[in-house]
Amino acid sequence: MNAPDRYERFVVPEGTKKVSYERDTKIINAASFTVEREDHTIGNIVRMQLHRDPNVLFAGYKLPHPLQYKIIVRIHTTSQSSPMQAYNQAITDLDKELDYLKSAFEERISRKLRRVDMEY
Amino acid sequence: MEGAGGGGSGGGSGVSYQRFPRVRIREMKDEYMKFELRDTDASMANALRRVMLSEVPTIAIDLVEIEVNSSVLNDEFIAHRLGLIPLCSERAMEMRFSRDCDACDGDGECPYCSIEFQLNVRCDSDQTLDVTSADLHCHDHRFLPVDVAQRALAAEAAGGYDAPEQRGIIIVKLRRGQELRLRAIARKGIGKDHAKWSPGATVTFMYEPEIHINEELMETLTHNEKLSWIESSPTKVFDLDPKTDQVIVADPEAYTYDEEVIKKAEAIGKPGLVEIYAREDSFIFTVESTGAIPAYQMVMNAIEVLKQKLDAVRLSDDIQDNDDQFGDLTRNIQGAAL
Ligand SMILES: [Zn+2]
Repeated sequence: MNAPDRYERFVVPEGTKKVSYERDTKIINAASFTVEREDHTIGNIVRMQLHRDPNVLFAGYKLPHPLQYKIIVRIHTTSQSSPMQAYNQAITDLDKELDYLKSAFEERISRKLRRVDMEY
Repeated sequence: MEGAGGGGSGGGSGVSYQRFPRVRIREMKDEYMKFELRDTDASMANALRRVMLSEVPTIAIDLVEIEVNSSVLNDEFIAHRLGLIPLCSERAMEMRFSRDCDACDGDGECPYCSIEFQLNVRCDSDQTLDVTSADLHCHDHRFLPVDVAQRALAAEAAGGYDAPEQRGIIIVKLRRGQELRLRAIARKGIGKDHAKWSPGATVTFMYEPEIHINEELMETLTHNEKLSWIESSPTKVFDLDPKTDQVIVADPEAYTYDEEVIKKAEAIGKPGLVEIYAREDSFIFTVESTGAIPAYQMVMNAIEVLKQKLDAVRLSDDIQDNDDQFGDLTRNIQGAAL
């Protein structure tokens, strides 16, 4: 009766920002990003991509509670970079990796499909 | 390869730490696919797996209006069973979610977001009548129940004959006088909302194992010791070459990381007989589809959906602009502190 709608797990409510940013008050070049309606899928790839960046001193994410549909990504960088720059770079790199993977797959799949055609 | 990840610091933007994953498809059928994914990490493999299971959209029955139901099953039981019937969903990616559709009120036929099905069956004989997925009627043949579409294809290939014992997914059984009449609306959805929308029957990946046999130590074993060591593995990973009497790796991927052979080697006083590592940048995927979309399309759609998700979590410009002002502020504070 009063069960929350299932779509609340993945639809960002009106008036809520998908990503919000909060700078750390004590440590320079550290910040937290709150990403609404995302889970381990995004949290873990972003974190691992950030680990590839040598300017990132710390990168981690948490899912604070299974019924709070958001993740918090925390980033601490050297003075050579900034959390925001590192975050943007990580997403850009992941996006490019997926572009590359997409074309690799397309090529392989069309090759397989052509082979199937020839068998008939 | 490709110099990715080298980079070094130097600051400034534009330094890329991108990876260039490689793919090799081993097997590809409509409902099954096996492929290797290399030069990436477990986070990417797992993201793809998770997206395939719960975020690649399909079409499924979501709203049922029952006109007559005198069957033994209650209305909601039948509605649930209808929802679980996989429908051909090749068009799902380009369709709209009903909640986002502004072309309709979301509870009827709509060219952008929903498809209507009719079911009208009545039993008038003494024999039990099966109501199946084949009784769901829809004017748009692109959204037929998966099994019905497949049988139509198979029948076409077999010259128009349909095997009578294969009459679709059973929804309910009727006896004389019972009737089921309903209207069903199918919509686009994702597995995260309800499992009926998941295109994945199973999606798994395993780390590719790397097996090194210490040949020198292995030669100190007798024939029977070799045999019993090979037998200690619950899956057939190793074998004995009948000619040379050498232990060989017959099927590395049969290894389930159970470590039985390592324990056995220690038990017979030969520790280090074999070393097995899981390659952390190499994965073997198995994708099984419900038939709603072909397995290879599931993978392609997962990549696309993941791209869209990443796009959505990019920082908006206003956040970045606000931070630049703060940036000056902190630099000033920092300057003062020094
Ligand atoms: Zn609509």
